[in-house]
Amino acid sequence: MKTLESPLAVLLCCAVSLTASQGYAQVAQDSKVARFASRTEYKSAQIQGDQRIIHALNRFTFGPRPGDLEAVRAMGLEKWFDQQLHPASIDQTDLNARLAQFPAMRWTAAQLLYYLPGNAVIRQATNGRVNVPADPVMHAIYENQIARITEKKANKAEKGQAAQPQANMAMSATSPAMNQNQDMADSGNSMAASAANPIAGNQNDMGAGTPAPSMPQFSPAAIENIVELGPQQRIARLAQMDPDLFESFIKSLKPIQRQALEANLSPGQKQTIGALENPERLVAEELIAARLTHDIYSNAQLQVVMTDFWLNHFNVYLRKNEQMPYLLVSYERDTIRPRALGKFEDLLEAVAHSPAMLVYLDNAQSIGPDSIAAQRAEQAKARGLDAQKKVREGLNENYARELMELHTVGVNGGYTQTDVVQAARVLTGWTVDRPLNEAEFTFNPNRHEPGTKKVMDLKVKDSGETEGRELLHMLAMRPATAQFISRKLAIRFVADDPPQSLVDRMAKTYLSSDGDVTAVLKTLFHSPEFWSTSTYRAKVKTPLEFVISAARASNANIDNLRPIENNLRQMGMPTYGAIPPTGYKWDAADWVSTGALVDRMNFALNLAAGRLPGITMGWSPFPGQNAQTGEVSNDPSPEAEETRLESLLIPGGVSDTTRTAALQQFAAQSAQNVATPVSAPMRPNRAPNFLEREDQVLAGLLIGSPEFQRR
Amino acid sequence: MQMNRRFFLHNGALAIAGTAAIPSFLVRSIMAEPATSRRRLVVVFQRGAADGLNIVVPYHEKNYYSMRPSIAIPQSQVVDLDGFFGLHPSLASFKPLYDQGHLAIVHAAGSPDTTRSHFDAQDYMESGTPGVKSTQDGWLNRALQAEDLRHRCAGTCEQHTAFRALALGPDVPRTLAGKVPAIALNNVNGFTVAGRGATPSPAASAFEAMYADSGDRILHPAGDETFDAVKMLRAANPAQYSPASNANYPTSEFGNSMKQIAQLLKADLGVEVAFTDVNGWDTHQNQGSVNGQLANRLTDFSASIAAFWRDMGDDAGDITLVTMSEFGRTARENGTGGTDHGHANAMFILGGNVKGGKVYGRWPGLDNDQLNEGRDLVLTTDYRQVLGEVVSQSLGASKLDVVFPGANLSPTRFLRLI
Repeated sequence: MKTLESPLAVLLCCAVSLTASQGYAQVAQDSKVARFASRTEYKSAQIQGDQRIIHALNRFTFGPRPGDLEAVRAMGLEKWFDQQLHPASIDQTDLNARLAQFPAMRWTAAQLLYYLPGNAVIRQATNGRVNVPADPVMHAIYENQIARITEKKANKAEKGQAAQPQANMAMSATSPAMNQNQDMADSGNSMAASAANPIAGNQNDMGAGTPAPSMPQFSPAAIENIVELGPQQRIARLAQMDPDLFESFIKSLKPIQRQALEANLSPGQKQTIGALENPERLVAEELIAARLTHDIYSNAQLQVVMTDFWLNHFNVYLRKNEQMPYLLVSYERDTIRPRALGKFEDLLEAVAHSPAMLVYLDNAQSIGPDSIAAQRAEQAKARGLDAQKKVREGLNENYARELMELHTVGVNGGYTQTDVVQAARVLTGWTVDRPLNEAEFTFNPNRHEPGTKKVMDLKVKDSGETEGRELLHMLAMRPATAQFISRKLAIRFVADDPPQSLVDRMAKTYLSSDGDVTAVLKTLFHSPEFWSTSTYRAKVKTPLEFVISAARASNANIDNLRPIENNLRQMGMPTYGAIPPTGYKWDAADWVSTGALVDRMNFALNLAAGRLPGITMGWSPFPGQNAQTGEVSNDPSPEAEETRLESLLIPGGVSDTTRTAALQQFAAQSAQNVATPVSAPMRPNRAPNFLEREDQVLAGLLIGSPEFQRR
Repeated sequence: MQMNRRFFLHNGALAIAGTAAIPSFLVRSIMAEPATSRRRLVVVFQRGAADGLNIVVPYHEKNYYSMRPSIAIPQSQVVDLDGFFGLHPSLASFKPLYDQGHLAIVHAAGSPDTTRSHFDAQDYMESGTPGVKSTQDGWLNRALQAEDLRHRCAGTCEQHTAFRALALGPDVPRTLAGKVPAIALNNVNGFTVAGRGATPSPAASAFEAMYADSGDRILHPAGDETFDAVKMLRAANPAQYSPASNANYPTSEFGNSMKQIAQLLKADLGVEVAFTDVNGWDTHQNQGSVNGQLANRLTDFSASIAAFWRDMGDDAGDITLVTMSEFGRTARENGTGGTDHGHANAMFILGGNVKGGKVYGRWPGLDNDQLNEGRDLVLTTDYRQVLGEVVSQSLGASKLDVVFPGANLSPTRFLRLI
């Protein structure tokens, strides 16, 4: 394809290209014609009117909520986009109220590791390398986990013969209230436990089930006695139970009793119950729930979308090891989210310093072959001291390679295997300090490889940690990186195969703005390629985009994120569940497999019908209300209801085919349910709850429709 | 790219079924030939790196016992195979299969890449291109691309169904990713839209009409395939294929997967390859010896596979089942009664045509100076050599450079275990 020199020419050439998918190459050859293209021709190829707002909402958010179209129309599209680029001023009252359910997500890694000890910390406690805290509640959290881990060690087949706990039901409820710090949230059996966990596999219990026969059973009365205690006494009572008794109690609870147990508890107290059960699982669950809550309820949607984009670009896998859930809390909150709309180099630096990435791609273990640490290991070996010690003295190239291949210049970005090794040498010593306690970045000079290095055309003098910063700066500023990042953004926001003219323009902005992501997105927003009619609804939603957009469009009130995560896992896109460093793919073909559509349709119907636990829908606050006039009809026709729901859920509308199919089915379903067909002009017997049911079915069909699978 | 299957689905026998459920006679007519002419491949991935040295135990290696003082399987407890190797006692249900000549073992096999990272090693093993990260598809998908139908089913199954490539699990695994459409399902009974009635629910019919008449170039065909698969499954009613009376599947996730694979194979849905995985092999601490963590895993593993074999009954003769794990574990036990990430491992190959009753592969020895990097079992058989033979014998995929590019496989170097 020819490269066009003048931005104006690019602009104009694209104007004529918009006989849909005709491609830009052909148009580029006609650039002379394009230069004289009339304003009318330009406009005819571009998305017009309200569709522009819908298009922007589809691309720069996780999907419009009811009312978004009107709000952006009132505000002006440009102003709305500018606000989205600068999210600090956006009101987040609703989001913050929801995030308050996850107090641990405000903690540092050190706090998380101490208050919500994972298996690794507990193993240290069993070895006496970590003291079990004295505070009664903390003590119980540790003891329960020590028991759980010890039990795991023992032959599971013999589990039933484990020492039988005294069914001591007469404990006093006078224990002091736990300190404020250790407030924790809701327990949950399955969300993170089974979240894409092929490796860590058996980290978790089998989940709540029927208690083993040998376990003490709690009578309904005994359970009621505990459940009826005041919040603080309830927690204290649970903390007083010995581990076996506590496990037995939890497993005795029926779902409704479980709800009662958590009734009137503060988020922190709910969290404590989860910590008494399994703190490591709790951390992973809150991590996932908080991220999904952001996705659904944040008003700073572009920031949320870009956070998702970077978390995928700089992918880290939740189950790389037992520590990872603890490291990911800060990774998302402190490393990625605040920099999602900043300078790429800042983000790259922050990621390179993050314990999550250092552990995920093994740089934390990388040791320079000629470093002091390696020499000491050699000496130890020579003295024969190494037999039992796990001393590794090797270079690990994993991060260095992915830094170039996936994070910056791309696989064809002009580096060789020699550059990978050299970059790995530069980055030796970048590691994690006390991973089970502080889990913070540290530069360890003993591990750092001495001498000068050369990566691509950059000569790096022996200067410790500074070497790595020079490397990151060089990589962030390379034209190949500008291209790589711009193309990836264009794929996310514009099309699976974005026009090179657009990518070039974005890359130019990238280089002239020192890699300012906001500036690059502005260029994208103001490019005719973005507004081409051929891009309207051209992207198929990933499972995440589908599920989140459904939750947003339907205005669902979600107190429990577990069904959302479970459906994502079912659809093959569990949160933080991509094992390889490439993350998930954005292309449509990957996500629209045969099994996937079944899951999408069933999710749509289940969500709309309010069949997902902890998620409430309100389809008919004003059944039969006319969207235009506000008039409420007591007896709306299915057609009128379909129109109302369609405008709520899919502001751009659906095809006649989809509408007809939904209404025909609707008639069939109603005919099954009631003697009189609902499509008859008079439907005297349609009670309000019947209308609600109609709405659920129609909404489910619209969310499962082909139109809703695209954005 | 999905021409074969689309062509069949839209121009073949199934297309005439329209929106109604497909009559079962139509489903049957696709594959009217006796079952004996159709070979099927089942692939099992042990995720987490199984400890091959305690699974197929070299119980005459002195150093095995000195390196594993607390976790070695005592000589008196192994299930002897050939006087040198013995099975872990929890694999006792494999012994009859071995004695009958259906079960072969390749020891010291695996991926030649030296990574000790679970995710890299799994990725390499599944892509079939160790060391090459840019590979987009998986070896099993490429094996289907290279499949020779005349070989696989002697001219009786020129056309493929929606169930051609099946994964039991939430998504299509890396192994099966690629051009040939694959179907992933967790639960046979759950693979239906809007309820499980004998006839499609109104909501399912509405969706079907929406997608069938949609002008969407991606969603229209995907929708058609989905409803074809759903209808095939409904018509075949796999629920009627309850396990054979002598097939006692464990009530585990893996047992359930193997049971469902058997159901789908017996339901004649056109499954050509099936994949599933089994977790929990990453035994860094307290893995146990004759009893314990690993023993429990192995009981589930072997009982599920043995039940599957019995369940398939007469059809078992056409099945080839192969197992793999991303790498083995260290020859020495570590300080916490477990083992760390190692290198070579043991693979099982079970099938009617398998020349079983033998442990294949060159044994590299376990003396200290015979270990890989001083710590693990040396690799003497590239797993692709085993899989190359398996896919060429079961699927007739003779273009091995397509299936395993860069591996330079040659039938002359096969172990001849099939």
